[in-house]
Amino acid sequence: MKFGMVIDTKRCFGCRACVAACKTENIVQPGNHWNFVLEYEQGKYPNVSRIFTPMNCMHCENPPCMKACPEKAISKNEHGVVMIDYDKCKGRKYCIAACPYGVIHFIDRGKAFYPDGQKIPYETLPIEAKHPLHRKKPGITEKCTLCWHRIEKAIKEGKKPGSDYDTSPACIKVCPANARYFGDLDDPDNEVSRLIAKKRAIQLNKEYGTRPQVFYIV
Amino acid sequence: MSINRREFLRGSASVAALAAMGDIFFNISNVVAKESMSEIPYAPKEDVLIPSTDTMCVNFCGIRVKRVNGVIRAIYGNPENPQNIGHLCPKGISGLFDTYNPYRVKKPLKRTNPKKSPGEDPKWVEISYEEAFDEIVKRLKKIKFENPNKFVWQHGHGKYLIGDQFPKAFCKAFGTTNVVHRTTICEAARHVSDEITWGNHAFLPDLDNCNYFINMGANPMEAEQWARWLDRKIIENKERGMRYIVVEPRLSNAAAKAHEWVPIRPATDVVFLLAMGNELIKNNLIDEKFLATYTNASMLVDNDGKFVKKDGRPLIWDKKTNSGKPYEGDVEPALSGSYNVDGKACRTALEIFKESIKDVTPEYTEGVTGVPADTIKRISKEFGEYAKIGSTVIRDGKFLRYRPVAIHTFRGLSTHEYGVQNNRARQIVMMLVGAFDAVGGMHLHDVYKTPKYMEPSKCEFPPKRVDLQESVYFPHGTHNVAQQVALTLADPKAYGLQYEPEFMMSYATNRPFSTSDIKKQIEGYQKIYSVVMDTIITELADMSDIVLPDKTYLESWHWSDTRWNLESKHMAIRQPIVNAYNLKYDAFDILMELAERLGILDKYIEGINGAWKIKLAQGRKYTSNEVVAEIAKANGTDIEYLKNHGLKAKKLHSEDIYLKGVEAKFKGPGKPKMNFYAENLVLTAEKVKETVQKNGIKNINTSDLDIVYSPLPRREHAFPTPHKEAKGYDLYLITYKRMYFNQSNNAMVPLLREVAHDADENFVAINTETAKKKGIKDGDHVYVESRAGKIKIKAKLTEGIKPDTVAISYHYGHWSHSIPAYAKKGANPNWILELHPDRISGMNSFNDTKVKVYKI
Repeated sequence: MKFGMVIDTKRCFGCRACVAACKTENIVQPGNHWNFVLEYEQGKYPNVSRIFTPMNCMHCENPPCMKACPEKAISKNEHGVVMIDYDKCKGRKYCIAACPYGVIHFIDRGKAFYPDGQKIPYETLPIEAKHPLHRKKPGITEKCTLCWHRIEKAIKEGKKPGSDYDTSPACIKVCPANARYFGDLDDPDNEVSRLIAKKRAIQLNKEYGTRPQVFYIV
Repeated sequence: MSINRREFLRGSASVAALAAMGDIFFNISNVVAKESMSEIPYAPKEDVLIPSTDTMCVNFCGIRVKRVNGVIRAIYGNPENPQNIGHLCPKGISGLFDTYNPYRVKKPLKRTNPKKSPGEDPKWVEISYEEAFDEIVKRLKKIKFENPNKFVWQHGHGKYLIGDQFPKAFCKAFGTTNVVHRTTICEAARHVSDEITWGNHAFLPDLDNCNYFINMGANPMEAEQWARWLDRKIIENKERGMRYIVVEPRLSNAAAKAHEWVPIRPATDVVFLLAMGNELIKNNLIDEKFLATYTNASMLVDNDGKFVKKDGRPLIWDKKTNSGKPYEGDVEPALSGSYNVDGKACRTALEIFKESIKDVTPEYTEGVTGVPADTIKRISKEFGEYAKIGSTVIRDGKFLRYRPVAIHTFRGLSTHEYGVQNNRARQIVMMLVGAFDAVGGMHLHDVYKTPKYMEPSKCEFPPKRVDLQESVYFPHGTHNVAQQVALTLADPKAYGLQYEPEFMMSYATNRPFSTSDIKKQIEGYQKIYSVVMDTIITELADMSDIVLPDKTYLESWHWSDTRWNLESKHMAIRQPIVNAYNLKYDAFDILMELAERLGILDKYIEGINGAWKIKLAQGRKYTSNEVVAEIAKANGTDIEYLKNHGLKAKKLHSEDIYLKGVEAKFKGPGKPKMNFYAENLVLTAEKVKETVQKNGIKNINTSDLDIVYSPLPRREHAFPTPHKEAKGYDLYLITYKRMYFNQSNNAMVPLLREVAHDADENFVAINTETAKKKGIKDGDHVYVESRAGKIKIKAKLTEGIKPDTVAISYHYGHWSHSIPAYAKKGANPNWILELHPDRISGMNSFNDTKVKVYKI
């Protein structure tokens, strides 16, 4: 199984539910966004349009971040998911420079959600109550993991990843516009494969040769 | 013992017992070994999903809350909920921050600085519940003895304290009629327009079958009730082929997804709709059968604007016998024409409508609305043709009328001085093509539930209620008049109120922040002893005498309000997940305590029993947990089931959607008719005039009653007071909602402030060309000034707004002393909105103001 996503920008109306869902699911501190939505206007009054483009890690087949990392802290697993090893990462930031999509962030220091620094229980869970992919610390980089913690659990439990809310990344089934899809790109019958074919979904910045596993309907 | 602000804000962080005290200091070397990915296995002590209902806004989405080791770890949508099917917006997802907010009220507070105004430090002192209850009960006992109406209760969208029934029962037991909801700062004009027309309110477009959908100023992709159903239905059906048009001054996100954005001058939509009506009639695209059979369009109206009656029954002109007869038996009503009945000259209501709009041509309309004449002609023609008048489809073996067109609205038509009339125009266009309760048209909710709404008003004077509901001031103000409370408090005698309110209790509402012309609201609330039950110290609490902490929706039991749709309805609960700050009481518990101490507990329980059809025993208090279980039982379901699923849904069938409304209540001879022509308003106007004259009322204008209470919408309704009077103010100001905040109450949620690039601070959206002419660049600070005041705000240039209009979102510009600086950015446009409430419904006017914008 090679996991990928399809994002339908014709459906997306910029609510940012995916942004919020990712942040809370992955305890992403203020200022960093594993998932964000670009918003811009085109045209002149009254012929104006507004475009929303959600972006997260593309889980490239040819990831420049993985190649750039001097510590070999980034790897791509058997299901195509690109992840940072927080123990190996030394915060060298080559990955941030290499990524053409700007989806990797540096954790310069721990920041509490509330500006006066007071951490809430959600932020102070003991380490054994946090999945390894959420054990982040200052001085390392972080990015979207395709919610591998949820996918891995699904596979372990014999469930089909992407088949429902909890076996998909947190940003997928929460979308009010039904604009986000997740599934097995190796399976031609899978929803994502069919959508890519039927709606001629494209990859962004193809010229960099990164071969993203995230496709866009535009 | 007084505490300083810093201490108060830090508070005693008594968090839930199982929460771990993780790292507070950011020492990297300290942290590296402890936070290893691989060495420590992932083994939470608890990892559960608890279903409940969200109240970050009034969509009441179904949620599942993930709790790990006693801490809320995440909030997911509940796919089992038929309304949101697992979808959520960023507010619902962020609810855990709202519950863990360190700036929440954690203890009862008492004000020690008697001065109440923005900027004043209340100098809060923590008191015990006993002290708070003693103070409250002492005052209320005195009031109950003197005149219980001196006690005023206000609540907002709040968390619907179990469907509003509990405050209503409490206030009834206490003896006051002053229970005031917030609907006139929401969409009351839309409701009252519905009620006048068909005896109840609320509607949903049948989007799965609709082919031409016009949205006039509703914004389900950034806010709005029913958003979590409307949003996906619009998107899906657009892909099916439904044409989607948005008419509104600003390129909202709802407009950004439309096939066509039709920019329109604020407050002029009524003329756009009348022009549509004119075009439909001209092109003979009207459903004569529907008009004659279901509405009173064929009723005969005399030269006084009243129905011609015989034995109290209104007459139609029967084409079979060429005479005036009631619409009963074997008659054939004439839809148009002038007639003479027993020497009385009269015309059909439709004839009057036709004549009244004959000058509302596309060209005239272009001048008023800014919408090109050709666009108006085209949209009217398309709408009429897509309506497929006369056609039927078969659903579940039944022949149903098929009219796949709908005109929808929310704030766009409603938040105006002529909000009811604007909405009436929409309804009339729908009646012209027969699209109500037709397949693909507009489904009307619980039609004719309250026939008296279609009758004239009693125009009460002197008013019994502080909000002047259904008085001569707001004769059809049937949804309370939220903004009026402060104005009456400032000068009760001016409104003929025979008593002076002395105590106000507010629950989950922030009136001074959310209402037009804020300084007038503040003036009123400075004069009354005020107790607030809320989770945060809002601007209203900031001006109050006692603040009692409430539990959030993730900490308490409630029988939840729910939203229905055209496929299903459901019942739901909210259940406690945590008690983040160890609060002893929630608002429901507080009411129970007060009821007992006031000696009205038994009456209160009696009221609750009546409202919910349950059988609580007298003589004891109840927890909300117990009451929710009883309500569940009374609704035929088990509380354990609801605890496990959060809700119980029921599928609706085509019969429920298409056959129980106008088909059942209005169709055919001998049945009541929808008010195409609202004769009741003519009679209301007479009553208003009579009441004003009889009582020498000085503050009601009687020279324009024929316009204000017109039985049919007319062109004058496109010109609210500021448009006519505010000379020298060249721009129209509208206010709008954003997806990231709900009214005024999520400002402190940090995640919402960074979820989008421009969520943190508001701005005045101004057309690029208009800004250039004024020398304003993107990001410049400007003044936006109206006759009511001025604010300082950043400018944002956009092509997505009409050049003569500017827009400001109203969730910003908090000033409460107890709200931290990071949550106070921006400016609140409500300071500068002129307040000219709709004199039919009491609806607060938000979108009628004119302003000028200039660089600082």
